[in-house]
Amino acid sequence: MKEFALFWGCTIPARFPFLEKSTRLVMDNLGLPMRDVEGFTCCPEKSLVNNVDHGMWTLTAARNVAVADEMGLDLVSPCTGCISNLSTVKGELRANPNRTDEVNTLLKQVGREFKGRAKLTHLVPFFHDEVGLDRIKNRIKRNFSGMKVVVHYGCHMMRPYHAIKTDDPLNPKKFDNLVRALGAETLEPSTKLMCCGQALDRVDQHDVALHLARIKLLELKTIGADALVLCCPSCFLQFDNNQNLMEKDGEKFGIPVLYFTELLGLAMGLKPDELGLKSHRVDVGPFIEKWEALVQKTRIEEDIDEELNKEAFG
Amino acid sequence: MLETRLNFKLLEMCADCGACYNVCPSCLHIEGYDPRAVIRDILAGTHERWLTSKHIWQCLECHHCLEICFQHYGFENAMTALRTLAIKKGITPTQVKKGWDMFAKSGRLGEPSPMRKRLGLPEPPGSAKEEFLKLHSLYRESRLPRKGKV
Repeated sequence: MKEFALFWGCTIPARFPFLEKSTRLVMDNLGLPMRDVEGFTCCPEKSLVNNVDHGMWTLTAARNVAVADEMGLDLVSPCTGCISNLSTVKGELRANPNRTDEVNTLLKQVGREFKGRAKLTHLVPFFHDEVGLDRIKNRIKRNFSGMKVVVHYGCHMMRPYHAIKTDDPLNPKKFDNLVRALGAETLEPSTKLMCCGQALDRVDQHDVALHLARIKLLELKTIGADALVLCCPSCFLQFDNNQNLMEKDGEKFGIPVLYFTELLGLAMGLKPDELGLKSHRVDVGPFIEKWEALVQKTRIEEDIDEELNKEAFG
Repeated sequence: MLETRLNFKLLEMCADCGACYNVCPSCLHIEGYDPRAVIRDILAGTHERWLTSKHIWQCLECHHCLEICFQHYGFENAMTALRTLAIKKGITPTQVKKGWDMFAKSGRLGEPSPMRKRLGLPEPPGSAKEEFLKLHSLYRESRLPRKGKV
């Protein structure tokens, strides 16, 4: 596999370093040729930067792609927003050579050039397509058979499709495939593809953000999901942090939120403490306990089988 | 002013269509959120009243509308154009202002947490702040169109 650069973005290292930790741990476990690269800035975030100044949004994203271009590296990111923003600008510039020239006139003055050669992939489709389900399955120590989870894609993992092109934007499958490869059953709630709504917290509309989170969490509770699995720091903030805030105010959901890298890490045999699961606001305990109880049950069943076999066949 | 940024021909279709209302999370779940009303005002040149409305900030930029749009346009474009206009007039949500200021000052939206060290994470790679600031000032001096293409 070709070496690739990790694009961490701002939110994970700043607010959720434990998500960086689990990402590094699973990549090490798989022996992936990942590199930390100097010189990346904010991708930049669309709702804040693009609304203020489209030109600056374009230029900053183009510069980040140029950094990867120069090193001849492709980019992989555990953040959906970063991939969507970088891909959108890369697509816009590649479709518009005049605009690319304008951008490069400025980039040249800081010694950069946008070529748009670097491939930009979110961690989930990267694990699905490049690492592959077989290689991942080979590293699993214990699967999630008997556990029921809901996969939340995060809109920007696959949209806008014309720029990202890694999965069906209206009926994505790859994240589900990965989670099912870990042995878990994936449920299909009606709100499966509904946007988390975290963007509302960034425009001073916290109550509306909670309203949207609540709709999904209530459905997950109704259908008996053991956890919500996602791979976007913004969605994580919405469902972990905001769920916790609502629970403090007396609402009850009890839906543990797991980052894909954490779920994979657990399956690889990494310990919850090592993965930093204690840093979550919503207790992951019930998920782990149910999973542990399933092992006990399996062991008891195996013991009974052994006894019966002895009786039957000596 | 909005004519240079938005494709009014496509918006005319948007004003009547509304196919995306069935997938847009805000249309489905936020009371009073009605992009077609906004678009009709844009076409009539009477959009001013929306600049102070919380509704123009309720588009989540999830791009779901874009994916099912017959024109591959979506009303997200209209919301973004109005947001930019509102910001130009100084009607900016506090969080957006804070976010932009941090971005313009450092090229990032938050510095790596000191907690990283306790988790045994390596030193964070440098983020080229000086280069970013230089580029930002070159940009301000340049004549690169700021409103972008449609």
